[in-house]
Amino acid sequence: MRRVILAVTGTIAGLVALLSFKSHVPSVPVAATTGGSGGSSSSSSSSSSSGGQTTTVPGEFPQGSLAGQLPAGETAVDGKAADTAYGPVQIQLIERNTKIVKVAVLVQPANTLHDIQIGAFAFPKLISETLAAQNAKIDAVSGASYTSAGYIASLQSALDQSA
Amino acid sequence: MPVRPKNRPTRVGARGLLAAIITGGLVVIALWWHGSPGVHGLGGWLTGAGEILGLLCGYGVVVLVALMARLPPLERGLGTDRLARWHAMGGRYVVSLVVAHGLLIVWGYAVTAHTSVVSESATLLTQYPDVLMATVAGVLLLGVGIVSMRAARRRVRYETWYFLHLYTYLAIALAFSHQLAVGASFVGNLAARFWWSAMYVTVLVLVLWYRVAVPLRSYRRHRFEVLGVKAEAPGVISVYIGGTRLDELDAEPGQFFRWRFLTRSLWWSSHPFSLSAAPGSDVLRITVKNLGDHSQALARLQPGTRVFAEGPYGAFTPADSDRGVLLLAGGVGITPLRAIFAALPGQVTLIYRASSERDIVFRDELDAIAAARGGCVHYLVGSRDEIGGDPLSPRVLRSLVPDLDEQDAYVCGPAGMTSAAVRALRDAGVPRQRIHFESFEF
Repeated sequence: MRRVILAVTGTIAGLVALLSFKSHVPSVPVAATTGGSGGSSSSSSSSSSSGGQTTTVPGEFPQGSLAGQLPAGETAVDGKAADTAYGPVQIQLIERNTKIVKVAVLVQPANTLHDIQIGAFAFPKLISETLAAQNAKIDAVSGASYTSAGYIASLQSALDQSA
Repeated sequence: MPVRPKNRPTRVGARGLLAAIITGGLVVIALWWHGSPGVHGLGGWLTGAGEILGLLCGYGVVVLVALMARLPPLERGLGTDRLARWHAMGGRYVVSLVVAHGLLIVWGYAVTAHTSVVSESATLLTQYPDVLMATVAGVLLLGVGIVSMRAARRRVRYETWYFLHLYTYLAIALAFSHQLAVGASFVGNLAARFWWSAMYVTVLVLVLWYRVAVPLRSYRRHRFEVLGVKAEAPGVISVYIGGTRLDELDAEPGQFFRWRFLTRSLWWSSHPFSLSAAPGSDVLRITVKNLGDHSQALARLQPGTRVFAEGPYGAFTPADSDRGVLLLAGGVGITPLRAIFAALPGQVTLIYRASSERDIVFRDELDAIAAARGGCVHYLVGSRDEIGGDPLSPRVLRSLVPDLDEQDAYVCGPAGMTSAAVRALRDAGVPRQRIHFESFEF
């Protein structure tokens, strides 16, 4: 019985120690941009994305470039790909008269289903926050701090270009 | 001097093995540390804990299999009975970790994905690669764990327990692919995947080599067969097994083999029995007390029956020392000690505890050996009441062996007797490292 208690408490104590050390890693990850070729693109330009492959995954938000299917008066601006611990995030802004009307996700972490699941609930929230705020000063989605940070970094770089 | 095999394998002691296991565990935790970007929020904590436990499970099953892989350095260093105890203890721990791993991952994923635990379970089972297989594996491991605990309490037959244990190999195989396919530490880390797989392959090769190839080679080389069966005492029989080039086995007194008698009713299960006489170059003897269906069937073995023998195993062999030796036998635990008694040089005292006169095995042999080599045999016969007190108290031991604390002690008997005797020896002043014991229930 003493052994059982020792094993259980030892395991839990070890886990808590490990995890609490890890939780002191700063929550905003490396948002350094990977030499992305982001930039203003007219509706005719190709929508090549940088720093990772474009993956379309299940989830109710625009994915992949919308540049080819924009009505007149709307322009697409690609943000730079922002690296996160789970992979790069790159977004595309659709603007009409300097107003953000849509955000599409060009590149997102999709190494595991878990990444995709997190994206599926985080991106719609981040996008609606962006449309409401019209700038990059938006809150991170809880439970998706890395994805949020990558999104915000890419969004900021797109705003910088269009400004 | 007793014949010492020339090519004794190196021995790994308990401390060395424990240090190796813990080092491996730390490497596994470092792998998680390296691969995990950071832990945030309740979901992160739960998922992180689940990942660590999952990695430890994947490592733990490998250790558990390696403990039972009949590796000579471990068999000779720790002894099979101790390895089996470590395996049982570790097994309970790993099965608990498997259950905790599953629950924490489901809960953690559900929290991060903002779904319910039920729908997250469904997602995990149906959409994550290989997780369904791994879940089946977890259920199998849990089942084997429960059956083993019941087997320890003798509610399940040895054979049932043995065959159910084979399912653990299936479980390990089923669980392997999900580790690499969804394990956060392995996705995108080719080196980790390589070394993890290498660890599994290494243990698989060791198991196949030491549990299959070596016994098969030994069977072909030594051509074991039953020479005859002799009744020793009520319910106790000796089986004589012949073969060729048996001296090449390097078996020592005190060791045992796992025997598989190739008759229609016995071929499918193997049982460990100690050599009850010093191994000869063309004959081995085992002595078996009638404990179950299997040992009953042994009495009917016909001469000429082929035998498949794995071994020799066991660390219960006399140490090199100039000190006197005390041998303490309980019941049928006399078998390895009978072999050691005949082989040891120097001053030897044998104390033989039996519940009645009829249960004493080898009385004539023991007296003859004592007379020939100049040793001493004490029979402690009868129940506690008949003897009038504890037969193995420190006081009794001291009166039988005056210079007790100058001696090496070897104890073999049923688990209860063994632990009581070890305690009494400690109380009588024998240092722990000079007490050697083997419990024959495993």
